[in-house]
Amino acid sequence: MDGGERSGDDSSTITRRTALGGTAGLAAAVLIDAGAAVSAAPAPPPGATLLIKPIVNGRVTPVTIDPRTSLLDLLRELLGLTGAKKGCDHGQCGACTVHIDGRRVASCLTLAAKTDGRAVTTIEGLADGDGLHPMQQAFIDHDALQCGYCTPGQIMAAVACIREGKATSRASIREAMSGNICRCGAYVGIVDAIADVAGKGRRV
Amino acid sequence: MTSAPFPNRPRVDALDKVLGATKYAADYALPNLLYAMQVPATIAKGRVTALSIDAAMRVAGVVKVLTAGDFPPPPAAQQGAPPPPATITRDIAYRGQPVALVVAETLEAAIQGAEAIRPTYAADATFTATIDGKGAVRQPVQPTVGGNATTAMVQAVTRHSAEYVSPAQHHNPMEMLSTTAVWEGGVLTVYEGTQGSNAVKGALMRNLRLTSEQVVVKSPQVGGGFGQKGGAQRHTALVARAAMLLGRPVKLVVPRGQIFHNASFRPKNRHRIEIGADAAGKMIAVRYDADQQQSREGQFPPNYHETPPMMYGIPDYHGTAANIRIDTQAPGYMRAPTPHPSSFAFDSAVDELAVKLGVDPVAFRLRHRATRDPIDDKPFSSCFLHECLSEGARRFGWKGRPLAPGAMVRPDGTQVGWGVGCGAYPANVHPNIATLRVGADGTTRFAAAGHEMGQGIRSTIEQILVRDLAIDPARLEIAIGDTSVAPQHVTAGSWGTASVVPAAEQAAAKLKAAIAELLAGRSPGGNLHRQLAAVRRPFVQVEVTTVGPGQGDKDVARLRQGGMAVSGPEYPAFTSFSYIAHFVEVHVEPHTRRIRVPRVVSIADCGRVVSPRTAESQVRGGVVWGISACLREATEVDPRFGGWLNNDLADYVVAVNADIGEIDVGFIDRPDMQFNSLGAKGLGEVAMTGCAAAIANAVFHATGTRLREMPFRIEDLL
Repeated sequence: MDGGERSGDDSSTITRRTALGGTAGLAAAVLIDAGAAVSAAPAPPPGATLLIKPIVNGRVTPVTIDPRTSLLDLLRELLGLTGAKKGCDHGQCGACTVHIDGRRVASCLTLAAKTDGRAVTTIEGLADGDGLHPMQQAFIDHDALQCGYCTPGQIMAAVACIREGKATSRASIREAMSGNICRCGAYVGIVDAIADVAGKGRRV
Repeated sequence: MTSAPFPNRPRVDALDKVLGATKYAADYALPNLLYAMQVPATIAKGRVTALSIDAAMRVAGVVKVLTAGDFPPPPAAQQGAPPPPATITRDIAYRGQPVALVVAETLEAAIQGAEAIRPTYAADATFTATIDGKGAVRQPVQPTVGGNATTAMVQAVTRHSAEYVSPAQHHNPMEMLSTTAVWEGGVLTVYEGTQGSNAVKGALMRNLRLTSEQVVVKSPQVGGGFGQKGGAQRHTALVARAAMLLGRPVKLVVPRGQIFHNASFRPKNRHRIEIGADAAGKMIAVRYDADQQQSREGQFPPNYHETPPMMYGIPDYHGTAANIRIDTQAPGYMRAPTPHPSSFAFDSAVDELAVKLGVDPVAFRLRHRATRDPIDDKPFSSCFLHECLSEGARRFGWKGRPLAPGAMVRPDGTQVGWGVGCGAYPANVHPNIATLRVGADGTTRFAAAGHEMGQGIRSTIEQILVRDLAIDPARLEIAIGDTSVAPQHVTAGSWGTASVVPAAEQAAAKLKAAIAELLAGRSPGGNLHRQLAAVRRPFVQVEVTTVGPGQGDKDVARLRQGGMAVSGPEYPAFTSFSYIAHFVEVHVEPHTRRIRVPRVVSIADCGRVVSPRTAESQVRGGVVWGISACLREATEVDPRFGGWLNNDLADYVVAVNADIGEIDVGFIDRPDMQFNSLGAKGLGEVAMTGCAAAIANAVFHATGTRLREMPFRIEDLL
């Protein structure tokens, strides 16, 4: 669509600049101080030379990577976290959206190396404990999905949309969610779900 | 027989999907996995003259490069079945065709290896990239004829004729094409998001000389298909061959740019339509010539006359169609394959005739009631298009709409228009062989032919089973999309629900009878699981075979062989279609001339609605597709070099959230009891038909400008 509709405040939209150039996170430091659990390191693949220690869903996760590895490929291929999806590998569709230090990024455009020491939250780590995050429940209630492939990215973006203070109207939600393509066309339900959660005033 | 309305239940697999726990084909963790990447041809036509693998093999981590010599020769022709996709060949038929497959320990190494390969080619400069090109070959197909349109047209007192154009488009489901292949113990297991696990299996058997027992294809969840995943893909046998040669699992996720060039697409198509009305202002005759872009060997039929004759009871209809063969990959079925473009063309033409006659477009359509199929001269099993129109007009607030275009202008100069558009889609069906097992341990398992692409087929099956059986729905497994659980059939063409819910209903009835016999008058109480436990039976299992109207053993045999076994929309005693009417409001901005669609009301006649919640989402999705196709999507051929220019999601623009307003969906929800025991026709495809025409008609109403070529661009209204 119109390129102008997709751009906006650099701090909140998914751009290469945000993904690569964000400042080191306060949230990460807090998590480390709190004594985050440490995951066992997966066996390094051939050619892996770089040790990084991102904090993935609250656990320090030492892993040795090929320096070219994207965050998306790290999550999916090395850490077994397949919730984030590859829909384009170009930062054009939003299916790979995760949070770094609480901010949404396109993980396919983020070098895994940049996440050393930073907090990475994926759909698998969104909810506290075994329950559902309110946004996950709202997506079920409003049938804000069909095939489900873009859904993890939509939900991560939806949570960010509220945190960024953009869920103030349906029009504003639509703008803030336009980096996440849903080819099944569940947009009406997605807006309903976000408006529902935002309207309840719950902290997400 | 009757069929009562169904309750609104949540989508059966929504919980796993919001958790990110649903496994799609590329999500399976396999030990010792290798990664593959294809090397695409950089010429439009010709031959590979040399291909050195040395540079790729020097990349750390690359373990093998497959080229043409690694594959068996093409299989012998098989009667009644199209040939499987070619593997790697030295002959190049289109730009982007794979010339090698690089396999490596890591994805990064596979990509680097693929980029290191630089074949040399003998390019054939005579290729034809566009349908207007010099080497394009026009091939007409059989005309579609009802009555005598030439004679009838002479009687017409008002005529409208015009040409309408629909561009090439690519499906772009969010899940990219991928294959993960495992060769173990002489059995090939393939994980691939496909709507036709049977078709993928058949192609693998033929390309790689394997028996039916040696191939299993698993596609339990598909991340959107829209027709692109309806058949065998070119890359699948390449990945499978690599797994067989290397003895390790191999995964390929096809980059989106390569999907644009190798997978199917909606071909560009053109429609020249003449409609004549008599003195009473009723449509009496149609002459309609259509043609479409086609590859040299492609088989996607130009069925543009599938639905226009079924809409308005016009007795005299003459339709021609042709393929225009050029050098491209094969086009194929994309959501509402021919009915989307033909309904855009035809329902635009109907609207133009109404304007010419000075009649309200809804009132004009309501003058015409379709009761018989004029081509096959059979009655419709059901047709509630009038009811769709009336209900839609009521909900939309159509009454009081000014007849003249350009009459609704907001204070800021925004032009507002209201348009209506109608569509139809065949009600098709295939046989099914289903097994149902209820266990004393609390589990239930239903296995049948079907694929879940997000349309909600599992939710429709669940509706039947929980309606008919006292079982624990939380422990119900619905096993579909897997050639090892039941004979599979391609799931497309809106035949999924009608082909599986009767099987679920019959299986439930048979199972209840079996348990009643087992209990022999005892009534232990509790649900079926507890009843089985009380009589110490671990489980009861039944199998049923269902067929559509007029189908029999030979259709079931085709299903068992993995072939196409679809009937419809013409059956021995009737013809069956689903219908829809869309009401659209457009806003045309005064300065940018940008078209916005703030609200849509869509009312569908799909027979009985089996799963109300997923059905509503299906229709909303169809409307989004209609808006996206009409205002955004076109894939541009590169006329100089062949191939597709805008082959990613930044340049191939699809509707995003900000493009979509409110979409109100309603159903007539009256069962078609001639079609099947539930009265359910199809929905996913019909949802899109007629929507683009409604937008075109609304744009005319807003501006007085008639747009006849999609997608509508800002410059078209300047």
